[in-house]
Amino acid sequence: MTMTVVRPEKLEIEGLVKRYPGSRRRSEVTAVDGVDLTVGDGELVCIVGTSGCGKSTLLNVVGGLERPSAGRVEIDGDPVIGPGADRGMVFQGYSLFPWRTVAGNVAFGLETAGVPRPARRERVAELLEIIGLTEWADRIPRELSGGMRQRVAIARALAPEPDILLLDEPFGALDAQTRRVLQEFLLELWRRLRTTILMVTHDVEEAVYLSSRVYVMTSHPGRIAAEAPVPFGGDRGPDVRRDPRFLDVREQVQALLVGQARS
Amino acid sequence: MRARARRRGAGTGADEGGGGLAATVEASAEAAADHTVIEWRNTLGGKRGRRARGRAHHPLLRIQEEIPGRWRAALVALGLAAPILLWIALSQGSSGDLLVPSPAQTWRGASRLWHEGVLMGDVWASLRRILIGYAISMAIAVVLGLLMGSFRSVDSFFEPPIGFLRYIPATALVPLLLFWLGIDEMPKVTLIVLGSVFFNILMVADVARSVPREIVNASYTLGAGRLRVLRRVVLPHSVPGIIDVARINLAAAWSILVVAELLAAQEGLAFRIVRAERFRQVDEMFALLIIFGIIGVVSDLSLRALRRRVAPWARP
Repeated sequence: MTMTVVRPEKLEIEGLVKRYPGSRRRSEVTAVDGVDLTVGDGELVCIVGTSGCGKSTLLNVVGGLERPSAGRVEIDGDPVIGPGADRGMVFQGYSLFPWRTVAGNVAFGLETAGVPRPARRERVAELLEIIGLTEWADRIPRELSGGMRQRVAIARALAPEPDILLLDEPFGALDAQTRRVLQEFLLELWRRLRTTILMVTHDVEEAVYLSSRVYVMTSHPGRIAAEAPVPFGGDRGPDVRRDPRFLDVREQVQALLVGQARS
Repeated sequence: MRARARRRGAGTGADEGGGGLAATVEASAEAAADHTVIEWRNTLGGKRGRRARGRAHHPLLRIQEEIPGRWRAALVALGLAAPILLWIALSQGSSGDLLVPSPAQTWRGASRLWHEGVLMGDVWASLRRILIGYAISMAIAVVLGLLMGSFRSVDSFFEPPIGFLRYIPATALVPLLLFWLGIDEMPKVTLIVLGSVFFNILMVADVARSVPREIVNASYTLGAGRLRVLRRVVLPHSVPGIIDVARINLAAAWSILVVAELLAAQEGLAFRIVRAERFRQVDEMFALLIIFGIIGVVSDLSLRALRRRVAPWARP
């Protein structure tokens, strides 16, 4: 084989299995069972599934926080063996450093990377500008609303310029209104930065609204049941939510998950 | 009664239908098609007719709720005044034989100690032993506790011996320490360390364990190594908890100090109490006990202030 392998993909997952070994009291659990998945460079992809379907486990494996039992996880062709700043992660909540200010939180990843103080300050200011929280730079997380906190968490993950951003139900703890605002924020951010994003959510509408492709995951064991392309580009706006084609994709995905929830 | 029987019947029907996907779906479809109203009103035989709904709670006796500010101030004042009034009453009843000295007599006892020139020396001697012993104890506890709370391996190794050692009463070690270390400062400081360090270690370990996993994981994905996570994440997150641990166990350290001083000392608050007893100076004994209390309250308040100062982000 002398053929050159073309790799347009940023993230490639092949045959991923994650098993938790059983004990005397607990039987073995297969959280993820043979998942194949790709995310292209600059693409925004969502994995949608019911609670406990293994989608967070999948994301943690990509983040390097958990080791796969079998299978291949590669970023730009390099195998993932542990966590690193090249894969920024955002969690559902409570992951900001409560003793650090907003600016201090965003600066954390730059400190670990050894960025000198002046450059650090400049970069933090730039990121706070992007998330619109410049005036909140010296506040601590406790003083922020839930939506603001998640914007800070996203900025913090973006600071070390990761190859891919992994979002684990980032808007799951927010009220419906704030959630919509942050969805627009994420789309806008993605349009401006063209970062590769893999996001996990249980909200079908959110998944379809944000991504170019949706992976539908079913549980026990966690498998990809379907891959749904979304027929809208990155320039979509809130009107898309009422578009028949949007509703059609949403209904199909929803039906798959409801069927699974029934059984 | 009829309703309950009906519901149970429906439930068992669905259970029997289980066993396969198709069967379950069929059963739930059947249940959905059944629009019969389930009659289950008044099966418990509760009161009927017009009546006030719910139960009103007295404003001073509501679980976890705030009380009016004026009531709060009044109750605090009462809580402070009650023991003093009780003290005065008891001292009136035992006038003459001086079993219970009055506040005025206690004050005279205190000023007598002051004029003898021993009081400050005693306070300082006791305070110094506590400061040195407790500082050593907390230093060991912070290092070992953070490691035990962070690494299961360290915890597995140290937890069993510490779990055993902490049940040996520190006061029972006094004879052994006197035998090994003599009667100067060493055995007293050692006793304070031994009497508090195991509790401090286990409680600091608990504090370190309560660092949310998400924060640790977030740090890893921001490029932090384990050492950085320990120093920049686990430690700062644990600071308020560590101060709380220090505050709670400090009282225990004082009682251990007393035992050490009772047996062998030339100065110190507890030594002075023993000496006062020898000369039947109950007023001085009372004065010394109150000084113990004052030192305790002051140290407690200072540690609370320290916590507010170094960890303003943490709720008390």
